[in-house]
Amino acid sequence: MAKTIMIVDDSASMRQVVGIALKGAGYEVIEAQDGKDALSKLTGVKIHLIVSDINMPVMDGIAFVKAVKQLDQYKFTPIIMLTTEMEPEKKMAAKEAGAKAWVTKPFQPPILLAAIAKLVLP
Amino acid sequence: MPHIQNSSDAKFLYVSLPALPVLLSGVAVGWQSGITWYGMLLGLLLVFGAIGCGLFLWRRHVDELTQINSRWERDENSKIDAVVTYTTELERLLLTISPILSQQVMVSREHTEQEIISLTSRFAAMVNELQQIVDSTDNTLGGQHYHLDSVINTSRDLLQPILQSLRQTHQLESDIQGELQKLSTYLGELNAITTEAGELTGRIDLLALNATNEAALAGEQGQGFAAVAKDARKLADDSLHIDRRLGGKVNAIIASVNTALNISANSIQVDDSTLFQAEANINQTLSHLGLALTHYRDDVEALRNNAEQVRSEINNVLVALQFQDRVSQILTQVENNLLNLQKTIEKIQQQGSSRDGNMLQVDQAVEHIEENYKSVNSRPNPEQSDSDELTFF
Repeated sequence: MAKTIMIVDDSASMRQVVGIALKGAGYEVIEAQDGKDALSKLTGVKIHLIVSDINMPVMDGIAFVKAVKQLDQYKFTPIIMLTTEMEPEKKMAAKEAGAKAWVTKPFQPPILLAAIAKLVLP
Repeated sequence: MPHIQNSSDAKFLYVSLPALPVLLSGVAVGWQSGITWYGMLLGLLLVFGAIGCGLFLWRRHVDELTQINSRWERDENSKIDAVVTYTTELERLLLTISPILSQQVMVSREHTEQEIISLTSRFAAMVNELQQIVDSTDNTLGGQHYHLDSVINTSRDLLQPILQSLRQTHQLESDIQGELQKLSTYLGELNAITTEAGELTGRIDLLALNATNEAALAGEQGQGFAAVAKDARKLADDSLHIDRRLGGKVNAIIASVNTALNISANSIQVDDSTLFQAEANINQTLSHLGLALTHYRDDVEALRNNAEQVRSEINNVLVALQFQDRVSQILTQVENNLLNLQKTIEKIQQQGSSRDGNMLQVDQAVEHIEENYKSVNSRPNPEQSDSDELTFF
């Protein structure tokens, strides 16, 4: 059975590019345009991994990761930050919030897929 | 507003400057010629005259200054009106143009994003199609079930037993022809035996005829012998009849066997040629198929390589298209900056005549915009190395 991955990004084109890479690798994809939207879509489904941007309106990526880690169902779900940010402070904030990996945009699909393959449990 | 002011000092100067030389001249004349009432009166008149002249010049000066001030004030007011009009219009222009620019930036951003999404979808479809081509060529080149080499070899293996069967059939035909030839020989010999039997029957018939004649000569004693001779002749006649029928049948069989031999010989000749031709054609066809397969495999390999290369290029394009994300962020910043500018102008405009240039806080605003832009512009570009892309925590 295919694993389900949630993509959280306010840029529709980025969601699409990430979706193409993931679907090409055989994953099911659920999209959300910001942290709040993503939280509302987490209920009633089984998400195996989350790929989230940081700079988003309404609820940013760091706040979203913190919120996810408060949910019993998703506290152990791996989260990858996919962002244009490079500042070490933000990286540290993501790590402290509970993210498992950091991939910078623009990304090479094989790099993201390798990170996902390493983090998603078989 | 600074005006050119008249002062009491200036007035004093205007009065004293003409009067002072007259007074000094009067004192000098009085000192030389002696002081007289006449001289003092004349001097006093001259001093008053000089003071009058000074007052007259002062009045002229004051009128002149008043006119200059009036002209200068009109000029300044005109300039201030122009500046106020310019400032008001500039504010109106900014407040009018800012939402329009903001709208244009937003529409451009949305259009660009939509087109990038559309472009990305098309490229993604192309990648999938190319992947299918690569997968199908993989099957063609390496798949166990669709390996054309294997098909040709299997066909060759399947055709060989058929050719072998045809050769065996051909051999059987040759054997049958040999047997038919033997049969023909035996039938010839049988025909000769039949002829000999006929001749023997004729001689028996002649012998029976002689016996009948001898029995007739013997008279009464020969009657019994005559009956036996008669039966012998009858038997010889029957035997002759059977010989003739047998000879006819044997001749008919010989004719049939000869016909069969001719047909068989022709068939063998035709089969010989057909078998040789079939074998040659099959080998040639398989050889052509093998050659065609080699070309096909080369073409498929080239197609596969090209497809792989194009797919890789399109993947790179998909990576490059991620610039839209950064463009979108920059354009969003432009929108926010325009909105902030609009709010600032509106806020300052509410201050009315008490507004001044410091309220704009130009340096702070520029610094804020530059800082925000720097944070977006300092982000990674597509040429960065892979090692910078991924960090595990």
